[in-house]
Amino acid sequence: MEHKLLTEHYNKDNYKSLEGYKQCGGYETLKLALNKQPKELVEMVKASGLRGRGGAGFPTGVKWSFLPDNNEPRYLLCNADEGEPGTFKDRMMMEKAPHQLIEGMIISAFAIQSHKSYIYIRGEYTDSISIIEQALKEAYKQGYLGKNILNSGFDHEMDIYVGAGAYICGEETGMISSLEGKKGQPKLKPPYPAVKGYLEKPTVVNNVETLAAVVPIVRDGAEKYKAIGTERSAGTKIFSVSGNVVKPGNYEVPLGYPLMDMINKLCGGLPPGRKLKACIPGGSSAPVLTAEECEKACLDYENLMDLGSMLGSGAIIVIDDSNSMVDILSVIMHFYHHESCGQCTPCREGTGWLDQIVKNILHGKGRLQDLDLIQNISQHMMGKTICALSDAAALPAISFVTKFKNEFIDYIQQNKISSDNLNQVV
Amino acid sequence: MKKMIKCTINNYPVEVEEGTTIIQAFKKLEQEIAHYCWHPGLSIAGVCRLCMVEIEGNNKLQIACNTVVQDGMVITNQSQKVKDTVRWGLEFHLINHPLDCPICDQAGECVLQEQYMKFGAYQPLMSEDKVKKRKVVDLGSKIVLDTERCILCARCTRFTDEISKTKELGIFNRGDRSEIGIFKNKPLENDYALNTVDICPVGALTSKKFRFQQRVWYLKKAPSVCTGCSTGCNIDVYYNEEGLWRIRPRHNSSINQYWMCDKGRETFKHVNPSGRLKSSFRHTAEQTEKMTTFQALQTLKLDSKKIGLVLTGSYTCEEYDAFLDFFQLHSIYHWKNNPKNFEDYDNFLIRGDKNPNTKGLLESINKRQLKLEDCTQLEQNISHLDLLIVCAPENHKLYPCLEEKINLFLKSKELVWISPHSHTLLQKPINTVWTIPSKTYFEKTGTFINHHGTRQKIKAVASIVDSARSLEEIIHILKTGQTDLTQIASIRDKMKTNYFMEQKGSL
Ligand SMILES: Cc1cc2nc3c(=O)[nH]c(=O)nc-3n(C[C@H](O)[C@H](O)[C@H](O)COP(=O)(O)O)c2cc1C
Ligand code: SF4
Ligand code: SF4
Ligand code: SF4
Ligand code: FES
Repeated sequence: MEHKLLTEHYNKDNYKSLEGYKQCGGYETLKLALNKQPKELVEMVKASGLRGRGGAGFPTGVKWSFLPDNNEPRYLLCNADEGEPGTFKDRMMMEKAPHQLIEGMIISAFAIQSHKSYIYIRGEYTDSISIIEQALKEAYKQGYLGKNILNSGFDHEMDIYVGAGAYICGEETGMISSLEGKKGQPKLKPPYPAVKGYLEKPTVVNNVETLAAVVPIVRDGAEKYKAIGTERSAGTKIFSVSGNVVKPGNYEVPLGYPLMDMINKLCGGLPPGRKLKACIPGGSSAPVLTAEECEKACLDYENLMDLGSMLGSGAIIVIDDSNSMVDILSVIMHFYHHESCGQCTPCREGTGWLDQIVKNILHGKGRLQDLDLIQNISQHMMGKTICALSDAAALPAISFVTKFKNEFIDYIQQNKISSDNLNQVV
Repeated sequence: MKKMIKCTINNYPVEVEEGTTIIQAFKKLEQEIAHYCWHPGLSIAGVCRLCMVEIEGNNKLQIACNTVVQDGMVITNQSQKVKDTVRWGLEFHLINHPLDCPICDQAGECVLQEQYMKFGAYQPLMSEDKVKKRKVVDLGSKIVLDTERCILCARCTRFTDEISKTKELGIFNRGDRSEIGIFKNKPLENDYALNTVDICPVGALTSKKFRFQQRVWYLKKAPSVCTGCSTGCNIDVYYNEEGLWRIRPRHNSSINQYWMCDKGRETFKHVNPSGRLKSSFRHTAEQTEKMTTFQALQTLKLDSKKIGLVLTGSYTCEEYDAFLDFFQLHSIYHWKNNPKNFEDYDNFLIRGDKNPNTKGLLESINKRQLKLEDCTQLEQNISHLDLLIVCAPENHKLYPCLEEKINLFLKSKELVWISPHSHTLLQKPINTVWTIPSKTYFEKTGTFINHHGTRQKIKAVASIVDSARSLEEIIHILKTGQTDLTQIASIRDKMKTNYFMEQKGSL
């Protein structure tokens, strides 16, 4: 069953206007929040069990509490770069419910006592940009932003920053570099953003969906939110389902929802006559699941972890038997090769190398030892770099080659040439 | 004082100051650790990922350059896990490397080459095509870039960002298409640009002047002090039987850290034999007489003459002392390279005083409570003098006023010109001119006092021009009438000195 906590009003045409948003109770939660102590709000978010929806799944309240307890200026950054292949939930949020995000951000900013925030939107999202721009104007006009918000004494300025569309600018410190006007490259950690982030000041980076989820948590209370989902994966999550399903799209379900129900019940199953071959459950960086594994999979952090994959950004890519796994891996490897920022040697060189090997296999020029080589290269790209892009490239490589080894061998031995369904899936 | 904490590195216990990074602790213990991007004079980039260490209790390997030592840490880079990682780190560095060591100027002092010999030396795993990049990129008048050899350690960019603060260099593009480069019409022309060549661990940045001149393993290296200005940067001079070939900075945390200026690197040319004054001469309007320095000094009549002395800051303290003690002087003049910008300072290293030992000169004068007059005073006094002795600058290039001053000195009844170099103006005089070859910093032992008052010893490395004499030796000859110079301790030392290349590679 869908559980529409964040997406409830997506269908209402005027929901994206401030008027429409208010008709559905918009900005009431902000009033509630401004009457609480900031610390209380942080505790509330902690208690709700909300975890980051951007990919890493880090507990949001805990992240907030890492900020130093002083009067230094601090920043809240909303990560709306949404670069993870297969993910399109943040865009929908910004286009359908911009005020929900803005309200969530003002509450979050109040909780961490930040007076300045940026929404970092990828450049390709032109609609999102203009809709958020319009929404910000309205919010300023009605006193939800600016000086002395709703007479609470709290000031907050919010701005949009448009990225040029690089995957790496979605990594939080890459985003901070980009925002600082530098080349979008992740920064060496430590220091972590909570201590030294944007302009060397304490900074919190959260995903669009994470920040929007703060509204129902504060409105309904932490317990109520915590009651949704599983013990350790609380709340709802919006999944972007793409690939070989009849009804692709964004679906909000409680965490822990079975993957096969998502595919069959909500997305109308696979196209007629096709059989499920594999599924990537959390964006292209997540290890692929075989059809058998999909049967057991539930959409929550722990379950997918146990299956050796991850929830990631919540992008479910369904792959049926009409696809070649070599093709798909080649597309994925091409992506990481193209997007690596190039600072760290294992990532810079490894992504290119993997891409080339997989392309060779795809074009009938592979060697059997390439399969071990892919494993070896990937192993030495993991956990050795500044950011997780290197791991994100290595994980799919390992899982594809391990779980669909025979397909790769077929290509190598039969010199099978690239099929035309390249790009059909990813 | 900072708190000291204990840790264990490769089973050796060591105490370090709180806040020390693991790589610094390794260096302190002189334990070997692979690294390309870390440089003690630059910020931490943490990009080569080669300095991996294993810390007890931590499953994930950490980079030593960005990890601070905690009390009680047990650290190793000798475990199989680390060794595998370093080997793979090297593999990643090499897959797109052109491996053109045979024609690469860095060969012999290339960190990549060294580490390959140490940790690599295996069959490469890469059989795919290498990424092709630009090979001879002109970065300006001084430096050439080979982007294929570059391992993207970002040392050069950090140098231009943090040290020269000129920001000419950047890493353009991304992933394995990343390339070091400059912006359009913004060449790498700052006064310190050649430091990037030194710190580049590979042959990606090479000096236009030095490349293809010499194979570095045929060069010897000797420590010295730069004579280019009063900062007195510490240097290594690279030389062979033919002469001097290049100068690179030597670390001195209180003077030049790891750096030196590009002009300073040029201060070896005047040492080389070509163009040096190779014997003494007596020039008169009628004739030129060649003689040994000994003969010249014997022939010179000093008695009861009114002698004026012109001093420059090129000489050692010992030389000034010897001179000032020996002569009965009528007057002493200070010849500065350029009085107008003598006090200039670029707020980093370069000073307007283009002499290594102006402080030493002043000290010797003040010790004896002598009066030092400005060279402009000489104009009025020169007619009162019988003899003018000029201890001329060692490096004429640094004295833009050279000819103007020589014309002034030539007005003296008799002129003694002491310098490693002569000048055409001196060779057809109206009166009498003696030219006596003196030694350069490479050939003598002594002390320089830099702008800050720091005393620095230089040591004679080799003899370049046999007939050249230091001021001390000249006085010795004048005093004793003997050529036997072994009585001067500093000269005896010289005979024994012979510096061979002790350390390999760059930092
Ligand atoms: C290569 C890379 C790309 C990323 N891209 C995004 C992105 O597009 N959007 C996002 O929200 N998080 C992205 N992340 C995760 C962020 O680094 C960060 O964890 C997240 O924005 C934190 O927000 P959250 O705690 O609300 O999830 C990316 C991470 C990596 C390593
Ligand atoms: S891991 Fe890759 S993308 Fe991330 S900082 Fe290093 S080189 Fe850049
Ligand atoms: S040119 Fe040299 S110093 Fe600069 S990044 Fe490349 S290898 Fe490093
Ligand atoms: S700053 Fe002065 S002492 Fe230092 S290298 Fe340059 S000329 Fe020599
Ligand atoms: S020296 Fe530590 S990462 Fe390069």
